[in-house]
Amino acid sequence: MDDRVILRVGAKILIPFIMIFGLYVHFHGDYGPGGGFQAGVIFAAAFVLYALIFGLGNAIQVLPPKAAYICAAMGVVIYLGVGFLGIILGGQFMDYSVLAYSYTGQHYGIIGVELGVVTTVFGVMVALFYAFAGRRRVDS
Amino acid sequence: MSEHLPALLVVVPLILAPVAALSNRPRAAFAAAFAGCWWALYASLALLTRVRSEGVISYALGGWAPPYGIELRLDLVNAFVAVTVATIGAVVIPYAWTSVKKEITEDRIPLFYTAFLLMLSGLLGITVTGDVFNVFVFLEISSLSAYSMIALGQDRRALTATFQYLIMGSVGATFIVIGIGFMYVMTGTLNMADLAERLPAVMDNRTIPVAFTFLTVGITLKLALFPLHLWLPNAYTYAPSAVTAFMASTATKVSVYLLLRFFFTIFGFAFAFGQMRLNMVLMPLSLVAILAMSLVAIYEINVKRLLAFSSVAQIGYMVLGISFGSVLGVTAGLLHIFNHALMKGALFMAMGCVMYRVGSVQLSKMAGLGKKMPWTMAAFVGGGLSLIGVPLTVGFISKWYLVQAALEQGNWLVAGLVMIGSLMALVYIWKVVEVAYFQEADSDVEIREAPLSLLIPTWVLVIASFWFGIDASTTAQVATDAAELLLRGGS
Amino acid sequence: MTPVEFVDIVLLILLAITGIAVIRTRNLFAAVMLAGIYSLVSAGLFVVMDAVDVAFTEAAVGAGISTVLLLGTLALVGDKEHKPQHTPILPLIVVLITGGVLIYGTSQMPPFGAADNPANQHVAPYYLEDSYDETHVPNVVTSVLASYRSYDTMGETAVVFTAVVGVLLLLARGPLPQRIHHDGEWITVRPGTTREELAAQFKAETEGGGGGPEGGGVDPGGGADPEDRGDTPSGEGGERG
Repeated sequence: MDDRVILRVGAKILIPFIMIFGLYVHFHGDYGPGGGFQAGVIFAAAFVLYALIFGLGNAIQVLPPKAAYICAAMGVVIYLGVGFLGIILGGQFMDYSVLAYSYTGQHYGIIGVELGVVTTVFGVMVALFYAFAGRRRVDS
Repeated sequence: MSEHLPALLVVVPLILAPVAALSNRPRAAFAAAFAGCWWALYASLALLTRVRSEGVISYALGGWAPPYGIELRLDLVNAFVAVTVATIGAVVIPYAWTSVKKEITEDRIPLFYTAFLLMLSGLLGITVTGDVFNVFVFLEISSLSAYSMIALGQDRRALTATFQYLIMGSVGATFIVIGIGFMYVMTGTLNMADLAERLPAVMDNRTIPVAFTFLTVGITLKLALFPLHLWLPNAYTYAPSAVTAFMASTATKVSVYLLLRFFFTIFGFAFAFGQMRLNMVLMPLSLVAILAMSLVAIYEINVKRLLAFSSVAQIGYMVLGISFGSVLGVTAGLLHIFNHALMKGALFMAMGCVMYRVGSVQLSKMAGLGKKMPWTMAAFVGGGLSLIGVPLTVGFISKWYLVQAALEQGNWLVAGLVMIGSLMALVYIWKVVEVAYFQEADSDVEIREAPLSLLIPTWVLVIASFWFGIDASTTAQVATDAAELLLRGGS
Repeated sequence: MTPVEFVDIVLLILLAITGIAVIRTRNLFAAVMLAGIYSLVSAGLFVVMDAVDVAFTEAAVGAGISTVLLLGTLALVGDKEHKPQHTPILPLIVVLITGGVLIYGTSQMPPFGAADNPANQHVAPYYLEDSYDETHVPNVVTSVLASYRSYDTMGETAVVFTAVVGVLLLLARGPLPQRIHHDGEWITVRPGTTREELAAQFKAETEGGGGGPEGGGVDPGGGADPEDRGDTPSGEGGERG
């Protein structure tokens, strides 16, 4: 892919913006459309773009498949962890009102679960991509 | 702590799933799965006890009152089903350790247990929720994990079987979500109790009968009622032994529960049986399922496949009970959920033992196994007796209630057909017994008895299927109370 | 016709055209691209229906990531679809009946977006009126998804995780290996193994325990109808996915 200068330069310019946009979508989810799910997909898209342009080998050096897999599992743990925190602090499962006073608790809870969602979705999307892209074609 | 049991029943196995995945070691993943299954058994038994003494338990997740938040709602019906699912999970999981080591390569084992935990929590999640959209979410979890576990079967055809199940299952799930969406459009709520309250006002509208139709077709696809059972035989035949034992005893049962929940609690008896004349569809289909599928089972030469067709027939019994629309009939259906889980679990686990030692469950490979694997084949005979419906087994209890329900409505024909179904079960079980006990084995192949780690769980289910056949007072009492609750339209 | 209705009709026609084109084309690469367009057009429809959150997700997942994943699959299995062996009449009938019932069911639905719809009368007004006071989140969709119905979202996160568990079970570390049983021993077979390699592997793993398989002795599927399958358990890895 060394000769595809336009693609390489274009991707290099785009990727940071895609990631910033992912952050924006994640943290702006309270105010406008977006949230953890969409942000996770956008982050993953940045990595997929990187892998498509610079090759799977380079992408794997940036983010090994193992790390993506750990992200996928950790997100679920984070999400459920927020739920368990509700029980530990004396409320119901997934109860945010006990996390802090009034709607601050709601904010903490939502930030917590959105973090879980973004981690899982990002990890899953990248892991799926690696799983498909990492296979070599087997001709029968 | 104990007031959180409805949520913890589901989320403890669920959080153990990523833990099992992260551990990435077969032993640690197994420990997580084992803990999840036994926790579920403890929690579901505690919940059933509480429901029996205190009545309905409602748990508002996140502290949001229903219908604004999601509610978990346990009554006798779903507490009973949850105990069934958890019991099978707890018995299959120690069995899986030995069986899976042989049938699945070591690098996949941690993820296998992850999928197992996901499926368990998915099934439990469907069972305990009081919110129809939540049903769909957990249905996806249990179905996706089931697909991936079936694909791990050591026969290549497991992949095509999975693909077929994936397509049919997704169609079923889509139909269910269409039904849920239509109900939401007409009522503005997703909470089951709330829906039951608000649906009667809009029943005359075309949308609700259509929602009902989509839900019925979607759920009967999931529970494999004839003629929507086409995915089941291959899936059960080619899945790893432990997966078949678990799925056959739980997945379709939970779908039967969903059918009950949607028909009786949400739409109500009057709408489902009066206006929509559901029994006119379900009764003939279930009778055809019993007779035709038993007939197919008689001609099968792969014993797992034979048992799979027998499962479709047995699902026919459950649906037949429901289609009577009477307390006795629904009691029979509910009892058979539990009873069939015990016997089919035992039978498929016995076949897992054969697979472990012989590497095949073809009838031809089972000649002389009665002498070489006496305990395994005795377990098969024990489960088989139950399937036939011999007195002192759980199978007899189910059939007893079913025949009573038929006679109550003066339906001699149906009662007679149930008897014929039993005779056909005798034929296909005898076919296996004959080969195993009365044919000479190939003397050159040495086959030993299956290890104890497989035999003990198998025998636990066999003994249970006799235990609850001899003393059916507890199960029959719970099932009767649950059936009365359903027919009253309460939840 | 209002402008919104005009946009609706245009988008729906586009949707129908892309849908039919996906079904008709035999070139899978074209089908994947059309499926991406299908998602993008549906995202447009969701925007018109004021469901921007859904539109966002559909555009990112349906048009973005799933197109890439499908292309990844095509790289493994090729982009030519085999001609179906028989005309799928039965599926067509089923689809037509389903469509007919759907149209019948929607015919008496309350008009889309009307304020007096049941869907806008019960739970939804509560969210609209009280959710800001209770959660201080301006976007109601977020407060419903992440707080009121966060248990559902937890389930959805688990669904996404389940998907990756399933894919990794099948695809991780090369083609799905199989366990086969021979003479009382279970051994692992990787797709692509030839019969000779298998024999050698078998000897090595069982240390001469069973004497090694004969020509027809090894049954790669655990015993069921060996004639249905190829002679060696090789070469089918690419069909999975």
